[in-house]
Amino acid sequence: MKRYLLLAFALLFAAIYLFPVYWMYATALKTSGSIFKYPPELWPSEPLVQVSRVFAEHDIGRYLWNSLLVASGITAITMLLGTGAAYALANARGAKANVALFLVIVLQVLPPSLMVTPLFVAFNHVGLLDYPRTAVVLATAAKTLAFYIVLCRATFTQVPRELKDAALVDGNSHLGAFFLIILPLARNGILITSVLVFLQSFGEYVYSRSFIATRELQTATVNLATYLSANSADWVGLMNYAGIYVAPILIVFILLQRQIVTGLTSGALK
Amino acid sequence: MLQSGLVKYLRDGKGFEGTLIVAAVLYLLVFAAFPLIYTVVMSFQEVDMFTLGTLVRPFAGLTNYTDLFHRPEFAPIVWNTMIFVTLSIAFQLTIGFALALFFLQDFPGSTYVRGLFLAGWILPALVVGAVWRWIFAGDFGVLNYALQSLGLIDGQIYWLSDPAYALYSVIIANIWLGIPFNMILLSVGLAGIPGDVYEAAEMDGANVIQRFLTITLPMMGPTLGAVVALGVIFTLQQFDLVAALTQGGPANASNVAQYWSWQMSFQTYEISGGATVATMMIALVIVVAVIYVRSVQREQSF
Amino acid sequence: MNQIEIEHLNKNYGSLQALHDISLDIPVGAFVALVGPSGCGKSTLLRTIAGLETITSGTIRVAGEVVNDKAPRERDLAMVFQSYALYPHMTVEQNMSYSLRLRRRPKAEIDERVGEAARILGLEKLLKRRPKQLSGGQRQRVAMGRAIVRKPKVFLFDEPLSNLDAALRVQMRSEIRKLHKNLGATSVYVTHDQIEAMTMADLIVVLHDGRIEQIGRPLDLYRRPANRFVAGFIGSPAMNFVPAEVTADGRTIAIGTGTLLKIPRAQEPGRKVLAGLRPEHLRLDGSGERLTATVDIIEGTGSMTFIEARIGSDLLNVAYAGTYETEAGAPLTLGIASDDIYLFDPETGRAL
Repeated sequence: MKRYLLLAFALLFAAIYLFPVYWMYATALKTSGSIFKYPPELWPSEPLVQVSRVFAEHDIGRYLWNSLLVASGITAITMLLGTGAAYALANARGAKANVALFLVIVLQVLPPSLMVTPLFVAFNHVGLLDYPRTAVVLATAAKTLAFYIVLCRATFTQVPRELKDAALVDGNSHLGAFFLIILPLARNGILITSVLVFLQSFGEYVYSRSFIATRELQTATVNLATYLSANSADWVGLMNYAGIYVAPILIVFILLQRQIVTGLTSGALK
Repeated sequence: MLQSGLVKYLRDGKGFEGTLIVAAVLYLLVFAAFPLIYTVVMSFQEVDMFTLGTLVRPFAGLTNYTDLFHRPEFAPIVWNTMIFVTLSIAFQLTIGFALALFFLQDFPGSTYVRGLFLAGWILPALVVGAVWRWIFAGDFGVLNYALQSLGLIDGQIYWLSDPAYALYSVIIANIWLGIPFNMILLSVGLAGIPGDVYEAAEMDGANVIQRFLTITLPMMGPTLGAVVALGVIFTLQQFDLVAALTQGGPANASNVAQYWSWQMSFQTYEISGGATVATMMIALVIVVAVIYVRSVQREQSF
Repeated sequence: MNQIEIEHLNKNYGSLQALHDISLDIPVGAFVALVGPSGCGKSTLLRTIAGLETITSGTIRVAGEVVNDKAPRERDLAMVFQSYALYPHMTVEQNMSYSLRLRRRPKAEIDERVGEAARILGLEKLLKRRPKQLSGGQRQRVAMGRAIVRKPKVFLFDEPLSNLDAALRVQMRSEIRKLHKNLGATSVYVTHDQIEAMTMADLIVVLHDGRIEQIGRPLDLYRRPANRFVAGFIGSPAMNFVPAEVTADGRTIAIGTGTLLKIPRAQEPGRKVLAGLRPEHLRLDGSGERLTATVDIIEGTGSMTFIEARIGSDLLNVAYAGTYETEAGAPLTLGIASDDIYLFDPETGRAL
C-alpha cells in the first residue's frame, strides 16, 4: 500500500515538474482568443489543431532543416574524431594521457557565449563566416567533442582490456582490434552518447545566432527567438512553433529514456 | 620502406592510439584552446569594427579592464551574476537532493518516473525560455494565476518587465532546467552508499534524521562537491534562457556576465569589452573546473 | 633446439624496472611454468613473449627469429587469458574460428579445425552459444579451443585456471597436460600456484622481484633449491627456517636450544647459517637427527596431521602422512635424516 502511495507522490512531483511542457502543448491547442481568458483554462475548452497552419505560416520546415543539417554535421564530426580518442584515452596511462584528458575536460566547460567573440573574429579573418552553417558546426563540435569523449571514455573503460590483447594475439592489428572487437562491444554507449550530442546540437543557439546573418540559413532556435521578440503576443503561434520543434526531441527521449539515464549516470562523474 | 614503416607504426605500434588522441586534441586546440588564448590577447587590444579585419591591432594595455571597471553597469552585473549562480545552485541542489532521496525509496516504477524528469534537461534552453516567458506573462500568465489562487499574491506581478523580479524569473527557469541533472548525479551518489551502513546505524540506535546527518551527508561529501562545481560551470554557461526571457533587461536588471559579454561583442560592437569580460569569466570557469577535476580524481584514488 | 630464446631482457615502466636481465631458453615441445608470487613479473614476461608489451632492452627469438619489433599477430603464438577474454558478441564457434577467419583460411579448413578442437574439448553441443550462456569451466574450454584451432608454434597460458573452483582446477590441470602431450607444441604457463607448476611443467622458472631465481625440473627445484626463496616457495607446506651456527668441527650445527644436528656437507666452523627443514621430512618417531619439542597446535585431516611444534623460541611445522593423536603442550620427539637438512647463508640466502 505504502509503495503505491509513494508512486502517487512520485507521479504528482513529475506532473508538477513537467507542467511547462504540458502548458506548451495545451496553449498550442487553444484559439488565439481563449488564451487571454483569465483565469486561464487549464484544459483547452475548444481544442484547435493549428500545427499545419503555423508550420506553413512561419516556414518552419526550412529552419528545422537548417537545424537538422547543423546538428548532423556536429554529430558526424564529433563521432568521427571523438570515438577513437575516447578509446585511446580509456587505454592510455601516463603523464601525456593525463594532460590530454585534463585538457579535454577543461575545454568541455568553456561557456559558448564567452568563446563566441574570439571565434567570430577568427572566422571573420579566414572567411569562414561566408559559410555560416559550417562555421556553427565547427565551433559547436569543439564543445560537443569534449563532452562526447568524456562519456564514451567511460563506456570504453568497461570493455575488458584482455579482449584487445586476445584480438592482437588472434591476429588483429591495433586498427583491426578496435574496429572488429572493441567497437561492436561499445556500440550501445557510443550510440546513446551520439544521440545526446545530436539532441544538444539540435537546440544550439549562441553560435547560430552569432554566425548566421542570412535569414534563410538560420536554425530553428534563432528563428524562434526572433519570432519571440517580434510577436510577443502571438502565444498560440509561439507555443505551436516550440511544440513542433521539441516534438522529435521528446519522442527520441521517450523511446530511449532508460538508455539515456544509464548513459549519463555511468559517465557523468568520471 | 619509410612509408611501410609508418603504416606498420600506425597499425601495430603505439602510433595507432596516439594518432587518435592527437587528432581530437588538435581539433580542440584549434577550435577551443586557440579562441581561448585569442580572447585573452584581444582583451589587451583595441578591437572595434575598424580593426576587426586586421591582425595587428594597437596594444591597449590594461585600459580595457580599467574602462570596464568604471562602467556604471559593471557592479550591478557582477552582483547579478553572483545572485544568479548562488540561488540557482542552492535551489537546484536542495530540490534535486530531496527528489533523489525520494526516488531512492522502493516503489513500482521509481526508475521510470525519475527518468521523466530528464525531459527538462534534454529540451533546448531557448525553447524552455520561450515557454517560461508565457508562464511568466503578467496579465494572462498561469504563474500569477496559480499564486493568486493560493493566496500568495494580490495583484499581478510583471515578472519579466519589473526590474525587481526580472532576475529572479530567469533564476526560477534556470532552477527548473538544473533540477534533473542534479537529481540524477545525486541519485548515483546515494546508490553508492552501501545499505548495510544504514542497517548498522539503525542497530546503533540512529533515527531517520540522525542517519541522514551522520551517514548520508558525510558520505555524499565528494559527490556534493562535484555537483556544486558542475552546477557553477553550467550556470555560468547559461545564455539561452536570458536571451529568451529578458535579454538582460529591463535596464540590465537581469543581466549576467556571460550575456553581457556577448551583448558588447555582437550588439554594441565593443569587441574588446566583450573579450575582456570573457577573459575574466573564463578564468573563473577554469579555476572551478580544475578544482572539480582534482576532487574527482582524488575521489577515484580511494 | 630451442623454440624461444630470451637474452638479457629488461623491461621498465618509467623508472620502475619490472624485469631484470632475464635470460631463458625454452626447448621445442617443452611445458615451461613461470611461477612466483604476485608482482614478480611472470605475467609481464609472458606478455613480452606474446608481443603485448614492448621490451626496453634485450632480444626475444621465436624459432630462431628475432621478434622484438614484431606485432603479436606476426609471432604465431596463441594465448589463453586469465579472464578467458572471450568475445562476448560472438558465439563459441565464432570465437574459436576468429583467428583463422582473420588469416583467411578456406571455410572447409576452418570448420574442420573448429570441429576437431570442439571434439577434443567436448564443446560440440555448445558451438552456437554465446559466452554469457556458459559456465566458468565451459568458458575456460572455449578459451583453450580458441588457442588449439590455430595450431601455433607456442601456447601461452596466463593463469588460466585461477578463476575455477578447486575440483575443476585439478581436472583441467591434467587435461591441459594431456593436451600438451598430444599436440606437442611448446607451452609457457604462468601461475602463482607452485603445486600447479610442479604437477604440470617439465621445466619451472621461479621469478621473484623481476629476476629469475632458479630454472630447473620440478623435483630438482624441490631437492636442490638454489636459495632460500626457492626453498620456501617450492613445497607445501612451506619449508621451516631455523637460525643455527656451525660447530667447531664443521660437521654439525647447533640450533637455538643447543640441539646438535649432523649436516650433509662440512661447513666453515663458527659460521652463522639458516637451517631449512621441510615439514614432511620431520618424522614423529625421532629417527635420524633428533629434536625435542612441545606441541603448540595440532590439526588432523585424517589422511594428514599437521603439527606446529615449538623448540625454544623457534616454531616448526610438521606434516605427517597419517593419523597422530596428541594434545597441545605434550612433548614431541622429532627426527630428520641428515641429508634432508638444507643450509642457507642468512644474508644472501644462497644455498650452502
